[in-house]
Amino acid sequence: MTAALRRHGWSYLFVLPTFSLFVVFTLLPVAQGLILSLQDARVTGGSFIGLANFVTLAEDPVVRQAVGNTVLYATAVVAAQVTLALVVASLIQPLGTKSRVFYRALFYLPLVNSAILVAMVWRWIFNPNPFGLANAALGTIGLGPFLWIGSSDQALLAVILSAVLTIPGGGVVLYSAAMGSLPRELYEAADLEGASPFAKWRHITVPLLRPTTLYLVVVYTILAFQVFERVYIMTNGGGPNNATITIVQLIYSTAFQFGRYGLASAMAVVLFMMAMVVAVVQFRSLRSDVEY
Amino acid sequence: MNSDPSLSRRRFLQSLAAVGVVVACGPTAAPTPSASTSGSPAAAKPVSIEWWRRNYTPGSQTAETLTSDGAVKGWKARTPNVTISIQGGPFGPETDQKFDIAILQQKAGPDVFHTTGGDVLKYAAAGQLSEPPLTDAERRDFNPSALQATTYKGKVVAYPLWIVPWFEYINLDLFKEAGVTPPKDGNWTYDEFLAAAKKLTFKRANGKQVYGFAHANDEFAFMLIDGGRLYDKDVKTWTFNSADAVSGLEKWVALAQAKVMPPDFLTLNPNDSQARFLSGDIAILQRPSAMINVLNADKNWEFGKNWDIANFPKGRGDQTAWGGVGFIAVREQQDVDKKAAAHQFAKYLTGPDIGPDLKSQTPPVEYWLAPAGRTSAAGIYGDYHPAKAKVAKMGAFTYVLPNVSTWSEIDQKYMRPARDAALEGKKTPKQALDEVTPAAQRLLDEANK
Repeated sequence: MTAALRRHGWSYLFVLPTFSLFVVFTLLPVAQGLILSLQDARVTGGSFIGLANFVTLAEDPVVRQAVGNTVLYATAVVAAQVTLALVVASLIQPLGTKSRVFYRALFYLPLVNSAILVAMVWRWIFNPNPFGLANAALGTIGLGPFLWIGSSDQALLAVILSAVLTIPGGGVVLYSAAMGSLPRELYEAADLEGASPFAKWRHITVPLLRPTTLYLVVVYTILAFQVFERVYIMTNGGGPNNATITIVQLIYSTAFQFGRYGLASAMAVVLFMMAMVVAVVQFRSLRSDVEY
Repeated sequence: MNSDPSLSRRRFLQSLAAVGVVVACGPTAAPTPSASTSGSPAAAKPVSIEWWRRNYTPGSQTAETLTSDGAVKGWKARTPNVTISIQGGPFGPETDQKFDIAILQQKAGPDVFHTTGGDVLKYAAAGQLSEPPLTDAERRDFNPSALQATTYKGKVVAYPLWIVPWFEYINLDLFKEAGVTPPKDGNWTYDEFLAAAKKLTFKRANGKQVYGFAHANDEFAFMLIDGGRLYDKDVKTWTFNSADAVSGLEKWVALAQAKVMPPDFLTLNPNDSQARFLSGDIAILQRPSAMINVLNADKNWEFGKNWDIANFPKGRGDQTAWGGVGFIAVREQQDVDKKAAAHQFAKYLTGPDIGPDLKSQTPPVEYWLAPAGRTSAAGIYGDYHPAKAKVAKMGAFTYVLPNVSTWSEIDQKYMRPARDAALEGKKTPKQALDEVTPAAQRLLDEANK
């Protein structure tokens, strides 16, 4: 131990700056959030109230609605985005190198756009008036107009659609890179056996991409649980009859509009627990010891 | 793919820490005991005070900036020994939090500041507001409902600045096109209003749809017109499920059922609603007085020819408009010179002298962005425009929301969803308002603790 410390101890110096920033700006705030969640904290301070904030959350129908909306949004969006990323990456994989690079860039580039700007565009697309882009487009084939974000029945669907219809550039790039490293001999063997392109995709590509799929599912789920700006911009932070309210939206309003920092921190803890539990389940169900 | 939302739990805590650091390092004025016992800023002793003003950006041409600079200039001419520095900040939670941290946690910050709604009560409850030394004549001069809205435990804790009434902007061109006579002297009953809105909802030959009426999604004024009020007179009991409130909501629901409002009326934000009125899509728009300046700035909109204003339609109750109140508050502190200077300046900001002072500046500055909260200062607002002259008279029947510190939670979490459910036809007005009552009463009780 001492020898190891003597040998490698100096290397901790290199880690120290980053670790210090992590402690100050991530670890301590998270710890403080946990403490706040057990307090009746307002801007003037707070006192310890045990688990009372969590009881309040459990009894609040708006919180239940926010949790339900968040789970529904995450389920639909993650499933659609991972599938879409896989399909798009598979479609561009057989192309030549230049074309593949071009399409990867094409799909990734929109990610540099401001999320607020993107949400504003989607708000316009799903405008309930006949001049909203979605209604205008559907009107050409005799459908609609639909109320979209103007209706409590359709608002969450519109928000989900806005996420689903955005090609997940990051996922496409990751899948595409992973596909490039798959062993060619497996495909050659399958060719010899007379496997169809779909059969090769289904039985070779998809299983071998499982580690990438696991990573994307976990990351996309966490991001979906944190959905905020899309809801805030598209539906004025909750939509008609709270139809699109999500956990982070509720954390925001509870903390910064209602001044209940303790309660908001308790919601953040609940969100953290949800993300952790889901991630563990996803790891257990999707992990594999793929070797090639 | 979803990008990282702007506020995760981690970001929330980080921003809390960051704001704390910023405020801690900021140029706040910590209370410093003064040897002087003088309560008058008239003494030649130099005094510096800090004025915190939302929406103030040095060098910009925003109305808040121009009026604030003009006010400081006007006061400097009257009291040369007092130096005022202004700190700005946008409307929004980040500025609210800056105020909260400075005033409530650090017991420092502004000597005098603009504030609204529940913040007044919050700061008063924390003992951070210095009670205005008002004479009886001055008390009588203020609008009673505005004064009530700034009263905490029987004491007036800030100076009402202005009352911002909501009323109807009408597009006279569309009225003419639809053959609808504008309300005489701006007065109409609900039935007349509904009939007009129906006639004003039409589709032109070119396919353009015009809607009779619109409001932004922050409204609930219709629930007041039959006499319904949120609380009893002591602000102890939630009464917004009374028969009068239900009847008011039914009138509002009738507008939705008649389809005289655009399909996005539940999510139409204030800016969009104004834009739709300006583009000629909406015949009657319910907005507050600030929109007068927007229309005046547009050469296509000539008052009396293209647009006019009308009162809120009258239901079974007394004539009603609804509105908010802006306040000027003085922070409690030990430095009596600063405190006295701050009170004198606050009186000036809310009093009858500032309007003429700013009007006489070169170029003239229009100080009153909304009708003044006191009678002696009310006249000059109407001097600037005939529409404003009409609005100035509305203060008398404007229902100013009593100040309740938990109001934003009641409104956003419970009232608006209930209102939406009724307007969408998912719940009856009575059912919707009844369902709100327990949560609203609980939050009202909490505010009254």
